[in-house]
Amino acid sequence: MLLNVDGVECRYGSVKVLEDVNLSVKGGDFVGILGPNGSGKTTLLKSISRILKPHKGTILLNEADIYSLKSVEVAKQMAVVPQETSIGFNFSALDIVLMGRNPHMKRFQMESEKDMAVARKVMNLTNIWHLAERPINELSGGEKQRVIIARALAQEPKILLLDEPLTHLDIMNQLEIMDLVKDLCVKEKLVVLAVFHDFNLAARYCNSAIMLKDSRIFAAGNLTEVLTSENVKSVFNVDAIVQKHLVTNSIFVVPLSPQKASSYKKCSIHLICGAGTGTALMKILLDEGYSVTAGVLNVLDTDFETAQFLKIPVTTEAPFSPITEKTHKANLEMISEASLVVLTSVPFGFGNLQNLEAAIAAVEQGIPTFVIDEVPIEKRDFTKGKAKALLEELRSKCAEFVKDQNELLSILNVSVEKLKIAKEERDRILAHLKPEESPKKTKIKW
Amino acid sequence: MSKDEVESTFFRRTSRWKLIVLLLVAALIIIVIVSLNFGSELKTPISFSDILTILGKRIPFLGDHIDSSSITLQMEAIILTYRLPRVIAGVLIGAALAAAGVLYQGVFKNPMAESYVLGVSAGAAVGASFAILSGISFAFLGLGLLQVAAFVGALSAMFLVYSISRVGSRVPVETLLLNGIAVNFCGFAIVGLLEILAGNELGNIVGWLIGGYSNILWKSIWSVLPIIVVGIVASYFFARDLNVLSMGEETAHHLGVNVERSKQILLVLASLITAAAVSISGLIGFVGLMIPHLTRLLIGPDHRILLPTSTVVGAIYLVICDDIARVITTPFLSTGEFPVGIITMLFGGPFFIFLLKRKKGSYKP
Repeated sequence: MLLNVDGVECRYGSVKVLEDVNLSVKGGDFVGILGPNGSGKTTLLKSISRILKPHKGTILLNEADIYSLKSVEVAKQMAVVPQETSIGFNFSALDIVLMGRNPHMKRFQMESEKDMAVARKVMNLTNIWHLAERPINELSGGEKQRVIIARALAQEPKILLLDEPLTHLDIMNQLEIMDLVKDLCVKEKLVVLAVFHDFNLAARYCNSAIMLKDSRIFAAGNLTEVLTSENVKSVFNVDAIVQKHLVTNSIFVVPLSPQKASSYKKCSIHLICGAGTGTALMKILLDEGYSVTAGVLNVLDTDFETAQFLKIPVTTEAPFSPITEKTHKANLEMISEASLVVLTSVPFGFGNLQNLEAAIAAVEQGIPTFVIDEVPIEKRDFTKGKAKALLEELRSKCAEFVKDQNELLSILNVSVEKLKIAKEERDRILAHLKPEESPKKTKIKW
Repeated sequence: MSKDEVESTFFRRTSRWKLIVLLLVAALIIIVIVSLNFGSELKTPISFSDILTILGKRIPFLGDHIDSSSITLQMEAIILTYRLPRVIAGVLIGAALAAAGVLYQGVFKNPMAESYVLGVSAGAAVGASFAILSGISFAFLGLGLLQVAAFVGALSAMFLVYSISRVGSRVPVETLLLNGIAVNFCGFAIVGLLEILAGNELGNIVGWLIGGYSNILWKSIWSVLPIIVVGIVASYFFARDLNVLSMGEETAHHLGVNVERSKQILLVLASLITAAAVSISGLIGFVGLMIPHLTRLLIGPDHRILLPTSTVVGAIYLVICDDIARVITTPFLSTGEFPVGIITMLFGGPFFIFLLKRKKGSYKP
């Protein structure tokens, strides 16, 4: 093992900031360090890079205690890219990169041809050779960070520690730099330990990960074992969808906004949707404080999966099967308990035509029904006009047609607001009508 | 620019550096000789050939072959006992203050840092004021009580600042800087109090605070010369460490620099150099702040060249300022001289502003 962290505990004063951390890495490992703010990620990197000596435990570099080694010896094997670097004087980019050669140079030695060759190599890798003579303080954030990474690589390290190295970089810079680091990791067996805030970058490049929570390791191991929606939920307190991406073949994580604590259930809304047309709306309506039901949805339908994830009650039908009379009835029952019905721009085939009839039934029952008519019915009617006819029937029965989701939301907000105002008005009038004692007495005196 | 061009420019840099230092040293020697011509001791000025002859005669072996028939004993005495020590003192003090300024600015990564930043000036001033008021005079290794007291005061203040800034095994630079300012204020408060109590000695204290070395003796120079020379040479061992330190202490640590040790050694060296200089000259201001910036403007931030260049430029600057002090003295003042400390600040300030303006704000230290 190249690096062994064993039972490390770190403190700032009496406050434990890292407890019982174990970690061992070998050449070619790309380890992501994940965790919320203040969970100890940077502290872990600091103790490995000899800035913060652990209170307990050992850190071994090639079987030698890292705190017993000389700075120069460690610097030949380990390089660090910090979150931010402020450079005191206006050195040129090349000067900065050559400083990475410092551990390899003797006290009075000047930079040799070899040092220059290394600097040129890493500056070509990071694509900054053309900036060699430019003063560092005149470079952009992305260029500057490339210089800092080149300096770290100029140390010719076996271990590279990255502390959120991509914070100030745009997406292309992020990918280019991480691709480069990954490449070195694979080809030259460089060990990379990197703190990430972005799950997707971590998922894309790391092969293993540790997740820290409250100064301890919460989960460690292969990335796919660590980066799960359960772990994200319990460590970050955020609901997230974790799936394998079809194109990149790596995991991707979609965090959902944290549930508002004060969400007040205004009323219940039944969604008639399918094929993903209701997915976004479900989350938004929940966030807005409505309680949501949906149906009829086929099992395996995107909307069904979302509903499962968001724990929304659904009337379901078997996969790829037309809606049966039984499920239709169950759906109508669900609808009768809702105070509003929303029909999305779902495509209609003979399998789900009954959902339109359910909407008509809702209108007939006097439940306010909104129809999102975003995609013209002609384009999503696969029933030779039957769906169109039913939709016309809905219109004639005074269902509310809106052009998209946003219009629906604004109408909902306004109407809820109006209801509230109307109720306050009524309460006020009622209060006035109430016979009151004291004013009457004055009247009598008059 | 092509790849090879960048590289060859880089490698040519070393020889360019050597050339710059050589030229500056040559300029310093010329300025020293020219400076020996300034003075008001004689009605007729001593010619350059006579000055060269007098100096040449002092060179071992070579001196015996120089014809010195035109030299009077009086001329020789004026050059060797009055003017030369004064010019050499200028070289030494200017070099010391400028070098210390470079070291402090490098360690603190702060453009406001200068040679008095660790309370050295206040400590020296307190020591000197007490010595002046005590009226005692004695000699120790060619130094009077005043010099010894100033030197001891300067070092005590520095160690005081250093020890109160220590947190465990570390000495954070921000704390050092602030404690240095605090100790400076306290020290100058004491000096202020002593000035009020000084009576007839007030002029002497004020004169020392402004700084000058018009009546310097060879003995005083010999007593501080080793400290200053050894200090500057030793600090040069850490020139590359200073470069790496400018990336921040943590990064320097990651790049293999033993940060706390280098920092401690550099600060002690800088304070020693400053204390030695101050003890024979008083508080000559602005040299330690301006010269490092001026040099950085001209040759860039690499401490391997910045340190030697600043040292020589500091020497040149102080010798020229002292010449000016002597020249304007002659017509305006009947007795005494302008202290050189006034010249360094009065002329240095506008000159520095002019240089910064010319760079149109593109200079970021």
